[in-house]
Amino acid sequence: MPDPGSYILLGAVLFAIGMVGFLARRNLIVMFLSTEIMFQGVVLNVVAFSRLHGRLTGDAYGLFLLVIAAVEAGLALGLVVLLYRRKHTLDAESWSAMSG
Amino acid sequence: MIPYILYVLFALGGAAIYLAMPKPSGSQRRAALVLGVGVIAGLLALMSMHFVAPNSNNFFFYMFAGLAILAAGRVVTHPVPTYSAVYFALVILCVAVLLVIQRAEFLAVALIIIYAGAILVTYAFVIMLAQQSGAVSTDTRAREPLMAILVSFVIAGAIAGKIEQIDAVPVKMTAQVPQAVTDVPIETTLPATEMESGHTKAIGEIMFGPYLVVVELSGILLLIAMVGAIAISRKQVPIEDTGEPKLPVGQIGREVPPF
Repeated sequence: MPDPGSYILLGAVLFAIGMVGFLARRNLIVMFLSTEIMFQGVVLNVVAFSRLHGRLTGDAYGLFLLVIAAVEAGLALGLVVLLYRRKHTLDAESWSAMSG
Repeated sequence: MIPYILYVLFALGGAAIYLAMPKPSGSQRRAALVLGVGVIAGLLALMSMHFVAPNSNNFFFYMFAGLAILAAGRVVTHPVPTYSAVYFALVILCVAVLLVIQRAEFLAVALIIIYAGAILVTYAFVIMLAQQSGAVSTDTRAREPLMAILVSFVIAGAIAGKIEQIDAVPVKMTAQVPQAVTDVPIETTLPATEMESGHTKAIGEIMFGPYLVVVELSGILLLIAMVGAIAISRKQVPIEDTGEPKLPVGQIGREVPPF
């Protein structure tokens, strides 16, 4: 089993890639897929720290993270459907009418 | 020394993602692939030199770690959302394998069932519902990719700058049930052999021991989210005109309700 350092580095890279997707893409669906990638990085991280300290707390956190991810996906996709019904586009920039 | 190599690798990786980002002029996908694979190889080589005990066989870790990074990069850069979802499934499978390598089998299986089985199917449904014909500018033009990459990889670099200090922490593999929630000593302190054989039982004892309240709260959270999602998506909304507004903007809110 590799050291936790490898997992933490991998988690950081996955988090960064997901953040790039969330900030740079304009399609609402791809934006939320990117947040799920960020979740994956965090799950790898908590499990790696759990192994570092020899406890199972991180595994339990990972399971709760799955719950949060499911909640987030459900609400976000409901919102996406609602927004798509209004404007018939998935473009996040079409909702920037209030920006200065 | 390691942080500086990592900073260079992150800069090159950011450049690879920038090249692969969808642009109206067309993305330099081949150059991005070559650069990205090079960066991943460098990252894995660095990991193998500095973080891993020399005798352990970590072939699967490197294989699936590299595949996960590559697939994640493709999710955020692919111009077709359907393919993004498929690559996301690949990320999930790779992360599940990495969790199995860390002996977190239950978490890995739960990840596959919940993500690949439930969440991804929901995404696929929404992609089908919100189908847009042909290539639209939403997918072919990224929004400020340079700034996004800069911000993200600066954060990753900040984490990587501290990564050498992790090895200083002594690693001890005694499986213990955390006693943070209650001061009552918990009888299910697991022997290390149980952690070796499989951690499903151990994690069950944690979830329904000290974390029982949190499990119940998660159930309530899921219920709230379900009610909320139904309430959001059942609401009938008028389709908004994309052209000129019919009424002057000043009247909305006074004589005309905003929605």
